[in-house]
Amino acid sequence: MRLSFTNEALLSVAPSRFIGLKNYADLLHDSLFWSSLLITLVFAASVITIQLGVGLALALALDRLPRFQQVIATVLLIPSILSPSVVSFQWRALFEYDSGVLNYVLRLLHLPVQTWTASPKGALWSLVLVDFWQWTPFMVLLLFAGLKSLPHSVLEAARIDGSSGGQVLLFQTLPLLRRVIAVAVILRLIGAFKLFDIIYMLTGGGPGTATESLPFYTYVQGFRYFTVGYSAALSFVTLILITVLARVILGYMERPIGRSLKAAVDVKAA
Amino acid sequence: MATQATTRRGRPLATPVARRGAPQVAVYLGLTLALVFFLFPVYWMLSTSIKPPIEWLHNPPVFFPSQLYFRNYTDALFDQGGLKGLVDSAIVSVTATVIGMAIGTFAAYSLARFKTGGTNLSFFILSVLFMPPVAIAIPMFLFWSTLGLVDTYVALIVQYLLFTVPFVTWVMKSFFEDISPAMEESALVNGAGRLRAFWEVVLPNARPALVATTLFAFIFTWNEFTFAVLLSRGRVTTLPFILPTLMESHYILWGDIAAIAAIGALPVVIVAFALQRYLVRGLSFGAIKST
Repeated sequence: MRLSFTNEALLSVAPSRFIGLKNYADLLHDSLFWSSLLITLVFAASVITIQLGVGLALALALDRLPRFQQVIATVLLIPSILSPSVVSFQWRALFEYDSGVLNYVLRLLHLPVQTWTASPKGALWSLVLVDFWQWTPFMVLLLFAGLKSLPHSVLEAARIDGSSGGQVLLFQTLPLLRRVIAVAVILRLIGAFKLFDIIYMLTGGGPGTATESLPFYTYVQGFRYFTVGYSAALSFVTLILITVLARVILGYMERPIGRSLKAAVDVKAA
Repeated sequence: MATQATTRRGRPLATPVARRGAPQVAVYLGLTLALVFFLFPVYWMLSTSIKPPIEWLHNPPVFFPSQLYFRNYTDALFDQGGLKGLVDSAIVSVTATVIGMAIGTFAAYSLARFKTGGTNLSFFILSVLFMPPVAIAIPMFLFWSTLGLVDTYVALIVQYLLFTVPFVTWVMKSFFEDISPAMEESALVNGAGRLRAFWEVVLPNARPALVATTLFAFIFTWNEFTFAVLLSRGRVTTLPFILPTLMESHYILWGDIAAIAAIGALPVVIVAFALQRYLVRGLSFGAIKST
């Protein structure tokens, strides 16, 4: 933290000195900072949306399974507990241009083969795919645990009073799941803003700077250019961003609970 | 219509099976697809690890290995440093987990029962976990190199403690807050000291949470990548460090690497399966209570 106010650079002979907010001012004019921010936001927004959507669908499906729920939930979870090194290796193999399974499937379907992590446009989406694969099961397990803890009497009551499955889901289940969803989204948000290892191993921030997210740019500044002070400023900005976003989500998730409760009551009254 | 129950709008009430929304077929179909998608990369790793070299990069891909080629495993363990990686990973992660549990549990108890440091201290502890590892990588690296401890077990273990201690503290704190102080109080009244009450009354009751946090501290330290790479110069080589170095070579030995990856994945998967009941609490930092 203190570093972020100095011009500390590992290669410079001059002792570091206090330069106030200069690092932060420089940030505003650094186009690479803005592009890395944009990349991080696009990445975070897409993975969270897809993971929440698919995760919710799978959790609901799992909840309706007559047996083996716990076993399937645990088996599904394997991707989320694997080391990023292992995950990167697995996907490196699947992304292979000639012998990779993904391109094999595309060829079977007569679709154009992709270069995946090697193409400037596709690299970020390849990372989204990997993150989707690794963390959707985590989402499923959290939401599934949330579903299990819901008061079934309320849902049953709504059914008996004649609301359709969709209505129950929209007006009962989702509002009741609000807290769990908030927790899951925030954990994934933090994960997306922290993601470094997989990028490092799969794309190295490239091609060019196509996948240089905030944490990766922080790394580049610190370990390639050795501008430690600037790098510290970057990480501090990242930390502030995560905190603000998490606050916003928490606020958004917890505020309208009165309204949704009212809606729930209305549905029951109808 | 007179005999059939209807809703207010005159729609017949659905039968019990179909009444919960989408048809059951969709449930099975969706879950099957999900299982295939989420498990295929794992299967691919396992099958590659027993493929003979000619099938590693075959086009079209070989889905079922023609023979069980276990040489990959012996090569991986003895020629590619897999055994050393396994031992180093075990030393680092077990030590960091055990010490982290010991410190973290006491800290959590203190935070939960005596409100040590008010509300801010516990939030500060949590915020450490939200920090991207890269953010503190440089300061930590400078710190360890000043002490001359880069590439030692001590550095890596202490580094991991910086994550496991806050994690354990946070999850255990939420648990200790849940259990009522009445039991310890009765122990205290009956003449036990604080420490004895903690040891003999609180801890046995905290077993599910202890298991969950140990599980996750272990998974975290076993898998950690950033500092494993940062603080290693080739003497302390944990499995997450070995894998990417092998992938950077000119001729990638897919089968050998797959074998190391499988070996690296195995302990984590085993403990997760053995302790599946405790997974949720650890995963959600204790934010969602279960079990």
